[in-house]
Amino acid sequence: MSDTSITNSQELLLTNDGVPLKVSLRKSLRRTKIRSFLLILPPLLFLLLMFVTPIGSLLSRSVDDIAINKVFPQTFAQYELWEDKSQLPSEEMFAAVVNDIRVTIKVKDDEGIDIGKNLLGRSGTRMTYEYSGWKSLISKTIKSALKVDKKSKEEVKPFIWEAPFKDKMIKRDKRWAKVEFWQSLGAMKDPYTMGYYLNAVDLKFDANKNIIQKEEYLKIYNTIWIRTLQVSLMVTIFCLLLAYPVAYLLATLPMKTSNLLMICVLMPFWTSLLVRIVAWMIMLQQNGVVNDTLMYILPCFEGMVNLPFFGATNIDLCFSDEDRLPMMYNFTGTIIVMTQVLLPFMILPIYSVMKGIPPSYMKAAQNLGATPTRAFIRVYMPQSVPGIGAGCILVFIVAIGYYITPELVGGKDGIMIGNFVAREMQRTLNWGLAAAMGAILLAAVLVLYWAYDRLIGLDNLKMG
Amino acid sequence: MSKDKTSKEPKLKSMEEPLVKFKNVQKSYDGEILVVKDFNLDVAPGEFVTMLGPSGSGKTTCLMMLAGFEPTTNGTIYLKGKPINNVPPHKRGIGMVFQNYALFPHMTVAENLSFPLEVRKMGKTEREAKVNRALDMVQLGEFGQRRPMQLSGGQQQRVAVARSLVFDPDLVLMDEPLGALDKNLREQMQYEIKHLHESLGLTVVYVTHDQTEALTMSNRIAVFNDGVVLQCSSPEDLYEKPENSFVANFIGENNRLMGTVEAIKGNIATVKTDSGDVVVATKVNVGKVGDRATLSLRPERIIVAPKKGKTPNTYSAKVEELIYHGDHIRTRFSVCGHDDFIVKIPNSIDNVDLKKGKQVDIGWMSEDCLALDG
Amino acid sequence: MKNVITKTLVAGAISTAMLAGAVQAEVTLVSWGGGYSASQQKAYVDTYSSGDVNMISYNGGLGEVRAQVESGSVQWDIVDVLASDARIGCDEGLFEELDRSMFLPSPDGVSMDDDTMVPVPNDCVVPQIWWSYVPFHKADTFSGDQPSTMQDFFDVEKFPGKRGIHTWASAITEMALYADGVAIDDIYDVLSTQAGQDRAFAKLDTIKDHVVFWSSGAKPLDLINSGEVSMSLAYNGRIGGAVLNDGADYVTVWDGQVLEEEWLVLLKGAPNRAAAMHFLVHASSSQAQADQAKWINYGPMRTSGLDIMQAGEPWFNTGVTIMEHMPNTDEHMAGGILANPEWWADNGQAVNDRYAAWMAQ
Repeated sequence: MSDTSITNSQELLLTNDGVPLKVSLRKSLRRTKIRSFLLILPPLLFLLLMFVTPIGSLLSRSVDDIAINKVFPQTFAQYELWEDKSQLPSEEMFAAVVNDIRVTIKVKDDEGIDIGKNLLGRSGTRMTYEYSGWKSLISKTIKSALKVDKKSKEEVKPFIWEAPFKDKMIKRDKRWAKVEFWQSLGAMKDPYTMGYYLNAVDLKFDANKNIIQKEEYLKIYNTIWIRTLQVSLMVTIFCLLLAYPVAYLLATLPMKTSNLLMICVLMPFWTSLLVRIVAWMIMLQQNGVVNDTLMYILPCFEGMVNLPFFGATNIDLCFSDEDRLPMMYNFTGTIIVMTQVLLPFMILPIYSVMKGIPPSYMKAAQNLGATPTRAFIRVYMPQSVPGIGAGCILVFIVAIGYYITPELVGGKDGIMIGNFVAREMQRTLNWGLAAAMGAILLAAVLVLYWAYDRLIGLDNLKMG
Repeated sequence: MSKDKTSKEPKLKSMEEPLVKFKNVQKSYDGEILVVKDFNLDVAPGEFVTMLGPSGSGKTTCLMMLAGFEPTTNGTIYLKGKPINNVPPHKRGIGMVFQNYALFPHMTVAENLSFPLEVRKMGKTEREAKVNRALDMVQLGEFGQRRPMQLSGGQQQRVAVARSLVFDPDLVLMDEPLGALDKNLREQMQYEIKHLHESLGLTVVYVTHDQTEALTMSNRIAVFNDGVVLQCSSPEDLYEKPENSFVANFIGENNRLMGTVEAIKGNIATVKTDSGDVVVATKVNVGKVGDRATLSLRPERIIVAPKKGKTPNTYSAKVEELIYHGDHIRTRFSVCGHDDFIVKIPNSIDNVDLKKGKQVDIGWMSEDCLALDG
Repeated sequence: MKNVITKTLVAGAISTAMLAGAVQAEVTLVSWGGGYSASQQKAYVDTYSSGDVNMISYNGGLGEVRAQVESGSVQWDIVDVLASDARIGCDEGLFEELDRSMFLPSPDGVSMDDDTMVPVPNDCVVPQIWWSYVPFHKADTFSGDQPSTMQDFFDVEKFPGKRGIHTWASAITEMALYADGVAIDDIYDVLSTQAGQDRAFAKLDTIKDHVVFWSSGAKPLDLINSGEVSMSLAYNGRIGGAVLNDGADYVTVWDGQVLEEEWLVLLKGAPNRAAAMHFLVHASSSQAQADQAKWINYGPMRTSGLDIMQAGEPWFNTGVTIMEHMPNTDEHMAGGILANPEWWADNGQAVNDRYAAWMAQ
């Protein structure tokens, strides 16, 4: 038996049917491979569709400047030839602007509908992000480049301007003589731009595409990034401090009591976020429950007292209306409400890890001579680290992108980056900037994961 | 009842003060049921005492009370003559090996061993020396830097033993420490623990429900049932001289014949079995004439086809079943109205040739037949 | 044979599509919620007999609109938009350009586009209302001197308490300049210069420590009612609604109000284009425009609508006169600033960034 296999091993091994063994093996394995691939196909497609595609489009949008480059190709080509950027550009560049407008205005979409005007309109919006005023300057110029009879709505004459254009354009709108407008084209001349990312960290391109600081009064995002990290970090820490004892209770109390406690923990999940936020408003606002209670219980004492060492002293120990604590519509409000809202995300992973720590470890540690406190710190706590890690990462990641709570209770100094993403998405329509901020958030989360992996190890992470 | 027995126990050097003393200890968790009813036990220094009993019999509770994890409901536990009821576990200085070892998974083996020394504020060099010595003792010198999870079950077990010994405790408790191991490993560890006990002169209180383990390792065994110690004596006595039918039944294999006491003469009791046969037995634990009694017979003490007059008890029996066991043949007879009377017949050439259904005489000596409570 | 099958399939598909179209023919009108949407419901939707109109709410901005149009899955038909959004959206091609000849002239025969109080900015928009950002307070908040000017709103010494203001820059920057003494006609010229913007923000700095920010229209009333702030800016219709319908004792300070245009637009690729257009003709009629003011104190954009209202006083549904609550009476317009949407379309990003930076400081 063993002899034959040794002699045959030099030759091609065949199956009983005479098919080479390797081929047959590959065939049978391929079938299982295909089957398992088909099995994971639906979730894979779902993942691609719901996760990879949006992130891909987010990333591409954050650098995409193709649209404006299609509208103003000649202008940007001329920009490269413009030498002294402190002086107004030459006639060629003015002509390039007019030509680009004249080419674009005729663009039709696949169905033959005029979209040139809209392409120019969108370019105007885009250009305003770089320098205020572009929008009206472009639309004014379009109107002159394309004169329409008011009554008949017919084009009387396609272009009323003939070269040279420079003086005519400046005459039409003196802003064409402002070199700052021309300079601002530099930031848009490439189809892919880092401009949105720079904007998101309070930097910008100058006329020569060097990276420079934004004007002091326009600097905002760095403050907000730091605040976002601050809030997320503080919320994470407060959640941990509050959640740890609660999770410990949940894990160690008898089933009946811990079930009741668990319901209390999960209650917020069953209540609308808005309702909870409004409840906090009622609690914490200037004339809210907490301040009213403080007013009621704190003593109001005013008058002269003979104190030892100090002698007669005028004491004003009154908690009056001016002393009411500002706890809402500010940083404090954001921290308090977010901590409450995110607390379950901290409790549950810690609880599930604690539940898996056998009580014998604590007993063993005490038996070996450690006081209960020491046993807890040296033996129990290190074993709950995977839960702490998971809870902290979960809370931090959710907090870093939070926006509803800060929007409603953040007021002036409790606003986070998520609110600016929303603002750029909804109001200013600067989606490139919103995408860049989203991408930075994503990167921050990935860095966090990486740091956790380096410090504690991802295998030490138990989500439940 | 075990109190007076223990004083007779030869292994206990009665002159010496017991290291551990349970005195009238009672335990209840809910105020309704006593899990431990009235526990009394003295453990002499250097003794290996096993608490043996079925699960729920209260043996582990007694161990936990000794370790300090459960308060006694009533009674006192003394360690070296001092009551320790109010001493917290970490001040008792008792080593313990837990059922699932309770090795700290986030520490290396060496850190696990170093932990009790650390909390005792021992210097680093001394600690390292002690840890290395303890690891060498359990043949794990190479494994100090591993995590417990990287070790096999047997190795983990040894680490647990080493950890319980590393701080030189007066007393080591072991709570079914071998339960998680397979049979071969378990037997090997039994010997290792026994050797450690002997070579280091340890005092060990050991809990198990495995009677073989208890017999192999212990100086004395306390048999628990239902919160009460039924007998506490050496393994030999427990096997040879069970004091009641529970112990006789629980330790080793045992044939039981039920009957009524006919006469008592000295230490000989005559018992009439329910089938009407009269058996002469050694009186151990029976009341007066007319009381119910259980006759206990070890299967290896039954003689098949005894010479006439050699055994005071000889009865005709029918072979019901023969089971080949290699070194012996396990034979089931029906005798004295019993149809599962087991006899172990050594597998030797000069033995009677038995066949199923064959009628044959079997007999036993009166000293091999114990008359116990009915 | 193949042809027959294809034809059958096509016919089936068409009839299914028509059926779906018929079921879907409920026009979706997106507006701002609250009393404003309620007035539109009563004046336009309830009086409209040629089809169903479903009203839903949004919180402003063109983000959702642009997302729908760009992705090609348009859910909304008609949206009620701010002046600057009306311009940006039309420029970007998010809205349909409408056939102006379809809209109804005024009772006097004036075409709709010549009947509006400001020139129609483009062919996408349908006249809606005038509204304003305006400060208000409770009648019993201050004893003695009562706030009466925009300066008083910025004077926390004279009128203590916090101020509720919104989280975006428009209107509040104009108000700051006006309160600082800039003449109404010069406001946008001043604001166009660096120094002018600095001046506006310097004025805002004077109330920085006394400010509570709001971002939804209902919030200012909560802030005033709870006593969180003593004075707040609000949309004038929110204040008027509470006064006219619920008898709230709010006092509106009209001086320095910033008047904003509001337009209806039809989204490009709207699912019910024809039905929506039909509804827009109805909603923009002089009568419908006037009717809306029966339910809220926002002024009609069409001059003829205002004429009908004035002739019909007391016009409000509860039987009280409405004109004195309107932002665009001569008396209230005396200290009123007309918002400049072109200016905001040009400068919105930069000034809003600066405002956000100011908020966050």
